[in-house]
Amino acid sequence: MISAVDLIALLPLLILTGTAILAMLAIAIRRNHRLVFLLTVAGLLGALALVPMAANMTPRTVTPLLLVDRYALVFTALALAAGLVVVCLCRSYFGVRADQPEEVYLLILTALLGAGVLAAGRHFASFFLGLETLSVSLFALIAYPYRDERALEAGIKYLVLSGAASGFLVFGMALVYADTGTLEFSALISASSTLTIIIGTILIVAAVSFKLSLVPFHLWTADVYQGAPAPVTAFLATVSKGAVFVLLLRYAVAGGLGQAPALVNVLSLLAALSMLAGNLLALRQDNLKRLLAYSSIAHMGYLLIVLVAGSKVSGSFAAEALLFYLAAYFVTTLAAFGTITVLSPSDREAESLDDYAGLFHSHPWPATVLASALLSLAGIPLTAGFVGKFYLFAAGGLGELWTLLALLVVGSGLGLYYYVRVIFQMAKPSLDIAGKPTAPAPLEAHLVLVVLLVLLFGLGVYPGGVIDLLTMAALR
Amino acid sequence: MSDFVQVSQLWPLIGYSAAVLVVIGAMLAIPRFLSHERHARYTEEPFESGVVPVGDVRVRLAVQYYPVAIFFVIFDLEAIFIFAWAVAFREAGWLGYLEMLAFIGILLASLVYLWRIGALDWRTRRQRLQDSFLD
Repeated sequence: MISAVDLIALLPLLILTGTAILAMLAIAIRRNHRLVFLLTVAGLLGALALVPMAANMTPRTVTPLLLVDRYALVFTALALAAGLVVVCLCRSYFGVRADQPEEVYLLILTALLGAGVLAAGRHFASFFLGLETLSVSLFALIAYPYRDERALEAGIKYLVLSGAASGFLVFGMALVYADTGTLEFSALISASSTLTIIIGTILIVAAVSFKLSLVPFHLWTADVYQGAPAPVTAFLATVSKGAVFVLLLRYAVAGGLGQAPALVNVLSLLAALSMLAGNLLALRQDNLKRLLAYSSIAHMGYLLIVLVAGSKVSGSFAAEALLFYLAAYFVTTLAAFGTITVLSPSDREAESLDDYAGLFHSHPWPATVLASALLSLAGIPLTAGFVGKFYLFAAGGLGELWTLLALLVVGSGLGLYYYVRVIFQMAKPSLDIAGKPTAPAPLEAHLVLVVLLVLLFGLGVYPGGVIDLLTMAALR
Repeated sequence: MSDFVQVSQLWPLIGYSAAVLVVIGAMLAIPRFLSHERHARYTEEPFESGVVPVGDVRVRLAVQYYPVAIFFVIFDLEAIFIFAWAVAFREAGWLGYLEMLAFIGILLASLVYLWRIGALDWRTRRQRLQDSFLD
């Protein structure tokens, strides 16, 4: 039976669903970009405002599928905030480019719903449902400018590969189920790790690695990042990957993934390969979106350290480290892709590094945001990325993962080269080339950049406030 | 062990499958011995109930066909969920009723959406334009 308390715990997700349906009906009655935009923003703000109310009811198992605890709610709030940022960026971006930009908001709402289900999932069924809700929305979002060849290519590439990954995922789940007879994560911890379970779990990890674009499942990343519209890339890089990671940590901690040494070895190998390959492939990129794609591969590799350490350190510390790193990564990545969105002229995207030559002189404000974001990605002190990386070192040190930490240091060193290369490019004397990117200056997009910049330095200079919030979000 | 089907219960199915294989095998094998090769004007033509085939194999279907097919599959699938609920109607109780009401409500909303954006309109864009001139 579902009680009223259960419904309150689910309110953020219910509001999201309601907003999606309302937005759909609003489009059906009369197409109005501004109306759908305002409806979406109101829905996201409403869901965000109800998160603290839902937090009073935690932890609560709502149906066998969902466990609403503070861990899930903190990530849901993070995803909603990121969604809000993306929606604000989408307004001017798609308003100029698409004939019918209204459905973008609908798809973002359903994708956020999938992310929320993933964050609260405690069962393979909710795992799959959440993942598919998120992915199917992303297919359409990536290929939204369907007259653009590259966006269409990116969408189809993501569709086909994601479908294959889902196949692996379901097969892995079936193997685990065949051996244990249960689909709940928490029931797996008592199951002895037989060969069937290990093969099943490795298949699941492979499917998840695809979603997180870990090496060697990363081949789609650069093309999809480049082809997708910049605000959608921002969404893909943050919410989609973050939700999968949040679920993976819950699965690992609740399901006792650390018990089987074979799995820990697989995860460590994935982490090591991603850190090295991601950073090495980014070195020679002349396209900012591709560069950020490879950098995201490396960052997901860094984050795997938390997961590997999660089997050795307490689950609550791993959760705190993961959520803080994700928060920092969200702010940073959204700032970077937000700048790309703001700088893109209406007929194309400012993605080539040549577009950024002399940006400090021609557009000092977006250049400052982008430079700060890149420094944060590199993990320079006073930025959010530094504190995030500090958490990774703490988790790795507690888990005594010295090899992975050494690779993290090497990777960060490599990373500094290509991040600073972009900043140097921006600092070059301005060249007056015709067709330089001009910012159309949509107000809400600039406002979003201001907020992101404040958060980026706020998290770096005074992380205490957020950390206090996160320690309450301990994973049981 | 009640979950598992005993092998002894499967014998009719196995026998039936074997019979199917034998019949098809016989149908394929017997003409080989009885017939003799003859090439005439219409030997290579595909035979479909005596109707003469027309045109090429590669028929280009209008894109409208595909959305309608997909909508059919989607709504058909939803019907299965409703069927599963209907079977357990009394056990599901009022809660199940409310949940199904929400489910069907969302389906209806999406149907309204599809209808309003013209996804159910079978005509091509040019035909729609012609019809709007005729009105």
